[in-house]
Amino acid sequence: MRFVKPISMKEHARALALLAAAALLTVLAGKDFLRQHLVEDLWPSPALSARQWLSHWHAPLKGGRGDSEVFVFRGQEEGGRVLVLGGTHPNEPAGYLAAVLLVENLRVEAGEIWVLPRANASAFTATDPQEGTPQVLALPDSLGQPRAFRVGGRATNPLDQWPDPEITVHRPSLQSLSGVEVRNLNRSYPGRPEGFFTEQVAWAIHRIIEQEGIDLLVDLHEAAIEYPVVNALVAHERAGDLAAAAVFGLSMNGVEIALEPSPANLHGLSHRELGDALPGLQATLLETANPGQGRLRGRTNAEQLLLGKDPCYDAAQLIPGMNKVKVGPEGLPLAMRVGRHLDAVRELCAALELTRPGKAVRYTGPPTLAELDARGMSPWLRPVSGLDQPRKAR
Amino acid sequence: MSLWPLGLMLLFFILLFSRWRWPLGLALAAAALAGGLLQGVPFITTAQGGLPQPGSAIWRHLVEGAFVYIDPMLIMVAAFLFMQVIRENGLLSALTWWILRGLGKRPALLAMALGLFVAFPGMLTGLSTASVLTTGAIAAPPLRRMGLDARRTGAFIAVAAILGVVAPPVNLPAMIICAGVDMPYLGFVLPLLVLCLPLLAASSLWLAHGALKSGDAGAALDEVDKGPLQRHGLRLLLPLAVILVLMTGPRLLPAHWPSLGMPLVLVLGALTGLFTGDRVALRPAAEGALRQALPVMGILAGVGSFIQILTLTGQRGDLVLTVLQLPAWAAWLGIALSLPAFGAVSALGSASVLGVPFLLALLGKPEIWVCSGISLLAALGDLMPPASLACNFAAQVTGEKNYFAVARRTLGPALLAAVWALAVMAASPWLNRLAGGG
Ligand SMILES: [Zn+2]
Repeated sequence: MRFVKPISMKEHARALALLAAAALLTVLAGKDFLRQHLVEDLWPSPALSARQWLSHWHAPLKGGRGDSEVFVFRGQEEGGRVLVLGGTHPNEPAGYLAAVLLVENLRVEAGEIWVLPRANASAFTATDPQEGTPQVLALPDSLGQPRAFRVGGRATNPLDQWPDPEITVHRPSLQSLSGVEVRNLNRSYPGRPEGFFTEQVAWAIHRIIEQEGIDLLVDLHEAAIEYPVVNALVAHERAGDLAAAAVFGLSMNGVEIALEPSPANLHGLSHRELGDALPGLQATLLETANPGQGRLRGRTNAEQLLLGKDPCYDAAQLIPGMNKVKVGPEGLPLAMRVGRHLDAVRELCAALELTRPGKAVRYTGPPTLAELDARGMSPWLRPVSGLDQPRKAR
Repeated sequence: MSLWPLGLMLLFFILLFSRWRWPLGLALAAAALAGGLLQGVPFITTAQGGLPQPGSAIWRHLVEGAFVYIDPMLIMVAAFLFMQVIRENGLLSALTWWILRGLGKRPALLAMALGLFVAFPGMLTGLSTASVLTTGAIAAPPLRRMGLDARRTGAFIAVAAILGVVAPPVNLPAMIICAGVDMPYLGFVLPLLVLCLPLLAASSLWLAHGALKSGDAGAALDEVDKGPLQRHGLRLLLPLAVILVLMTGPRLLPAHWPSLGMPLVLVLGALTGLFTGDRVALRPAAEGALRQALPVMGILAGVGSFIQILTLTGQRGDLVLTVLQLPAWAAWLGIALSLPAFGAVSALGSASVLGVPFLLALLGKPEIWVCSGISLLAALGDLMPPASLACNFAAQVTGEKNYFAVARRTLGPALLAAVWALAVMAASPWLNRLAGGG
């Protein structure tokens, strides 16, 4: 076959114009993509005991986009150790912001709390194609000045791990998953030290738990309103008693939450794999309902994530069984979703002491659901002097 | 909320494409741009109080959406290269000769065997492209020689490839739906076989049997160029063996055999072909492959931008909601029509965007059977215009210029498949009990 034919001046001109348009598009879009790499600073509470990088537990991550800060709070009294993961899925802002409010307000009295607010730091640097996710949420701090918190994608940035296989084969179970799940941190546990980038991040988290003797893992998430597991506490079978106690504690405060056993045949999830791999650990995961994530959602923007209102989900309310969470006129605001997470973390810590004497974890500082409902998140976001936050790109 | 913006976007797209002769991909991207701006997506990103605006400008969305299909694009270029190489090095004519000699006198068996053969790469990769451009390209010459016209040959290949996508072990639409509802991809082999095998046999016979029966196998055999076979013998088969082994290995030994990825597998197959037959000039072959793949790559990029704008502006959610709001009697029809229709822009997108909520709406029925049926309906999207991905490639394989004509000939089998999928979904409680499922 021969493809060479004479090219007219007009075709040359058209080709040049298209190339110029593509270059312009690259610049315009590129600026937005690049700003997603600016890491917002968190301002830990003065009671912080230590900050450490994830690469401390798995050196190959050092300095890369998978490296992420771990904040450690130690109480005066001996007790249990809790690890809270935020930002496993950066498109689920309540998980991230609940961890942020912990970092900025915790004062631990007994035991230790470890917080990894951006568990998949790489996924904060990119949003998922075809989801139209906003890149940042601007929240006023306690002095009313805006602070930016990034919203990312569900999966690791393809710049860090690409291409995806047609099928993801989970290790070690050999379960098949669709290709994109290879970049999903919560399908990559227990992790492999020499595995894919995302598996290495999972491995580093695995090592924290193992080396630091963590007793309780709380992985903070959100899910779509139509997804069957929302407003739920998922627990590995060894954490069943603890989770039941926490659910009871929450219901005493008027917070309804479903207790879901960790499915035995769904592999790669933190509660399943880390619970199985580490006999000393009680592994749990929390879900709230986020209207900005579902397939029925209307216009996708920051307001939707913050206010939790969406006319499409209001309409879906009329389809029997479609919405798994009742959506009222007040919507499902982010502050409320963060409050549910924080109340659940508090009850899980109380339940840890109850079910395993000597493993007390007690703290003050972070707001309750009732406080967040009444006043929003701002009073608990530490003020940043000046408008421009110090930022560093990764 | 209403769907009129989507209607306007589609109208604008059709105008650009049919009246002003824009390439499909560019027309889709332009419709996405216009539709986004019309619905208030900002033109430039501005900073407020030292902070960037939460919603970035439309440009980021156009680019981000366009990148969603970058992996399939690479597979396409590699598959076209493979096809070009086996065409020029003589493997294709050798295989044609073998197939006609072996099965030329048994038209029914020939039709069904070729159907299964075409479906095979799709079964292993979950991608229709992988089928159409490899085994599809191999099946085309014997079918043509036996007197099947180019359009029907194209339809035969496209339909078999789609059924290969749906058939076990790897069904990507089903896996995507599973990921969306956190259900393990387990227990699908039987339902998918029940869905695919009867359809594969029926549609292969429907499209090819008549022509094959009246074809003259002896005469057809005489016309095949036996030169490459005489010059190179069995060595010619090596490239085919390379890709079949590299595709099958990771499925058979997942613990020890890492998948190399389809682009690399196909390129390795093509490179092998450079040394096992007639001389192939690599550079023109590679350029030709890129030229053939480019229009379709453009369509996929345009489709990606289009869907991202639909999501951003809430049109995607409205679309899903509209189907879910249908009264019960119309819901099945809505599901059967909307999945392939949305699949016309992207079969995998359809599985994710519509398939997941449909499965959630149908919870209570045996979900593995329902999910299998939905995956078939979504996969049929690859036959639907405007992109008609499978037909587009099948037309290139058979040398037919007008891929819409190929698409038209897939309509009958596609309808049959849709009815069958609905029947299986409706009968799923009974089928599930029959299969011993709880
Ligand atoms: Zn999540």
